[in-house]
Amino acid sequence: MTLTRRALLGGAAATAALGLTGCAGLTPGRRGGGSLDYWNLFGGGDGVRMTQMLDTFRAANRGVDLDAVTLAWGNPYYTKLSLATLGEKPPDVAVAHLTRMKTMVQAGLVEELLPEDLARHGLTADKFAPRPWQAGLVDGRTYAIPLDTHPFVMFYNTDICGKAGLLDPSGALAPLDTPEKFTDALRKAKDITKAYGGVVAVTNETATPWRIYQSLYSQLGGEMLADQGRKVVIDDDRAGRVLTFLQSLTRSGLAPPSIDYQGAIATFANGQAGFYFQGEWEISTFQTAKLPFSMTLFPNVFGGGRYAVQADSHTLLIPRQPDRDPERIDRALLFIRSMLDQSRTWAEGGHVPAWLPFRDSADYKAMTPQSNYATAADAAVYDPEGWYSGSGSNFEIVTGSIIASVMAGQQSPASAIAQIRDKLTNLATTAPPV
Amino acid sequence: MSIETRVKLFNRICAGVLIAFALLWLMPLLWALDTALKPNAETTRTTWLIDDPTLGAFSRTLRETDILRWFGSSLFIATLTAVGAVLTGSLAAYALSRLRFRHRNLVFWFVLAGIMIPGQVLIVPQFREMDSFGLLNTFWAVSLPQIPTAIAVFIFKQFFDGLPRELEEVARMDGAGFLRIYRRIIMPLARPAVAAVAIFTFVGSWNDLLWPLLVLSNPDIMTVPVGLATVQGSFGIRYADTMASAILGAIPLVAVFLLFQRNIVEGIAGTGLKG
Amino acid sequence: MTAETAVRTGRSAREDIPPERGRGAGLPAAGFLTPFLLLYVLFIIGPALYGLLMSFFDTSAVKPGLSSFAGLGNYAEALQSADFWSSLWHTIWFTILTTPPLIIVAFGLALLADRVKHGRWFFRLAFFAPYILPSAVVALIWIWLYTPGLGLLETGLGKLGITAPAWLGDPDWAMPSLALTTLWWTLGFNFVLYLAGLQEINRDLYEAASMDGASPWQQIRSITIPMLGRTTTLVAVLQVIASLKVFDQMYLMTSGGPNFATRSILQYVYDEGFTNFRIGYASAVSMLFFLVVLGVSAVWFALIRRQEKEV
Repeated sequence: MTLTRRALLGGAAATAALGLTGCAGLTPGRRGGGSLDYWNLFGGGDGVRMTQMLDTFRAANRGVDLDAVTLAWGNPYYTKLSLATLGEKPPDVAVAHLTRMKTMVQAGLVEELLPEDLARHGLTADKFAPRPWQAGLVDGRTYAIPLDTHPFVMFYNTDICGKAGLLDPSGALAPLDTPEKFTDALRKAKDITKAYGGVVAVTNETATPWRIYQSLYSQLGGEMLADQGRKVVIDDDRAGRVLTFLQSLTRSGLAPPSIDYQGAIATFANGQAGFYFQGEWEISTFQTAKLPFSMTLFPNVFGGGRYAVQADSHTLLIPRQPDRDPERIDRALLFIRSMLDQSRTWAEGGHVPAWLPFRDSADYKAMTPQSNYATAADAAVYDPEGWYSGSGSNFEIVTGSIIASVMAGQQSPASAIAQIRDKLTNLATTAPPV
Repeated sequence: MSIETRVKLFNRICAGVLIAFALLWLMPLLWALDTALKPNAETTRTTWLIDDPTLGAFSRTLRETDILRWFGSSLFIATLTAVGAVLTGSLAAYALSRLRFRHRNLVFWFVLAGIMIPGQVLIVPQFREMDSFGLLNTFWAVSLPQIPTAIAVFIFKQFFDGLPRELEEVARMDGAGFLRIYRRIIMPLARPAVAAVAIFTFVGSWNDLLWPLLVLSNPDIMTVPVGLATVQGSFGIRYADTMASAILGAIPLVAVFLLFQRNIVEGIAGTGLKG
Repeated sequence: MTAETAVRTGRSAREDIPPERGRGAGLPAAGFLTPFLLLYVLFIIGPALYGLLMSFFDTSAVKPGLSSFAGLGNYAEALQSADFWSSLWHTIWFTILTTPPLIIVAFGLALLADRVKHGRWFFRLAFFAPYILPSAVVALIWIWLYTPGLGLLETGLGKLGITAPAWLGDPDWAMPSLALTTLWWTLGFNFVLYLAGLQEINRDLYEAASMDGASPWQQIRSITIPMLGRTTTLVAVLQVIASLKVFDQMYLMTSGGPNFATRSILQYVYDEGFTNFRIGYASAVSMLFFLVVLGVSAVWFALIRRQEKEV
């Protein structure tokens, strides 16, 4: 009853608007037939590649009317996706970060992907990198298909590092696996650039400071939250060591203390720093700039025998459908499979593919510098579980901005840790809304 | 210097300052237009000169975004809201102004209380309400809460109170009912009030962001502001395209303004309406 | 038609209606009032009460029903939350930054425009046209003006030898930048109000003053400013209330950043309610914000009352 009434209202509205504007094709509501609505949050180089992949899908599936919408990144995207699902007008497929997807699952906003449906499209666990696949399960069930892993990595200028004597005869960078080796490499690079050794975005940044902190902190085996985010378990000793180390880099002038995201890119691209730390997605920026550079794993500064690095994965999921229609789900899975089959295009943007048929191929191994850091996916540390955690979440904003203030030299590690604990405790003690 | 020449000089200076400010105020719009007429590659050079003027940004925006669809949504929603506000507001105001009934003052104050409630305070419960009515992602969800505006009742009542009653009395003698009087006598006389309420509701509804942002998450039926705010149309350096979409988004209201300039200005001056 | 005749005709008409007939209008009155009152109760009063109710519960956007009773817990949490206070302060800071310039500049420009005999339509167009634009359009244009390295503002100031700040990127400058955009956007409204106020001042007063040898500046000080007292109060009330309700500019231009430095109280409600799904808590914050607006309005209305008594 409600459905027909709504259809009627929508239809009346459409007709009226049509009459008023004379503009054809104004049909509100989800389209039937062979349509597929897809939402994503990709800008920049990722956006360009995603458009290519969509075109390939369209060319191969002429019967499917694909409508792709790109929305602004971060919290607004997830708000919109949640509201659309609550409002029973979700897209058929949506991109979500693995770390954000779980809260949506707990809120009941995501369709479970049944093994038999997945099997029909060849989407079985053995085809995926184990780490993102396992991390994406909720209570052992599948809700999202990982497309990639995007770890925090190290970019280095091959000219500068060569002149600084940091490369071995084969042109590879010697591992920087202790704090001393790390700072020493930065110092040598600084001697060449006469400006900075390395650069990492600090000013107005929350995600980047969090990523570098979390990479180092996890190498020490530290945890931030426990019990689904209901408890703050930050370890003062380990956090203190990491923050002191990060602050020493800017204090000593090896890295600039106040530089924003774009500024950090420019500093590295202009050869004013030998090292740059960021997610691998900035690969396109420096390729376009024709910079002599390479990429490798973020150094295992504190880990010793164990490697860890902050990362997240882009996943594809099916938001809760108002009326579960097997045909729509099938179409969505067909689309997801097509995206996975185009992992090569996607990997050009730096992301480590989750699709093993491609990741294990010679084709991928030949892709450099992409394949240099492929093992990061297996050591990926995802943001801690909790309804307020994940990429671009309140958790990252709170911790990241405080870490940034330490790196900028505005506050001591000890007071920062107290502040982080205080703010996180506020979030942790709040009754979870999901 | 005589007083007269001093006054003249003073007026000249005033005019000069005013023109300078007016040009300053037009600058952002002109710069947006200037940018939109450049090819994208040229926009990174900050100059007013255009080497290769083109309408390419406009045609790309029209082709690649859903902006025409958003125009349709906005037009439908704003029209529905304006018509609804004028009808319900004037009907209620007529009763409050002309009819005698018990608790009239109480009803009036009850309506007036609505002026004190900022609509933004109600977004959370209204969202929940629309959800339970199953109206999310429909034009009705956007429009319905915007229709009952206490300020419209207030404006109509003030206007009706100022109208002479002789005509109505004659009509009553001839046996005309209240509805007939409202339709045939009051409303034709109330054109200025109708214009003010209609235009302001229309513009207010067209420009509203927060509420439609919440209830419209389907890109197919978004309004112009929500669409512009939510959907990323293009990648890379495309400032010309962005400015073209801004200008396209502005055109309908600039047209409304040019058509109804006098009504709008008089409406503001007379009533002090503000979002 | 003057107000006086309206009042007089109104009174005479009322006396003409015999009391019996007056009472008999109850049924048609109900008919006239129903459409408005129905929508009003359904979409304004109802939600207001429902919002008040939800503010006492841990209601979630993704769960049906009200969920568990929280008592005054949501209010206590808000009042102890640094985020609540800082976003409330951002809203107030925005109001402080926008209200005086929007009054003073509008007044100044209206004064100037009042003395100009020709081309008034042009000034009205220049100053008022931005007001009628959707916030999303204004935001797109101003983000472009503020773009680091390429924006017109940075380049323009550079030519004058001034180093531009990072505008929206600098936590200290982001709010003033938003205020500047808002000044450009909404000035026209106040400008038109002042222009109307100026036209109501009796020209003979100026004539008499210039006979007495008063300079234009003296005339403005001794005639115009006092005569515009009521307009100024009206402009100030409307401006303060409009500024307190700010949401669009921040949401569109800074997303409340950098580092939350420009998150307004309404965006806090939006974030908590619809990003974090905590609509019970968001309702409590809405209620607190409502109290603030109510308090501010009450102060201003008291001022108007006093002013009216004095006149």
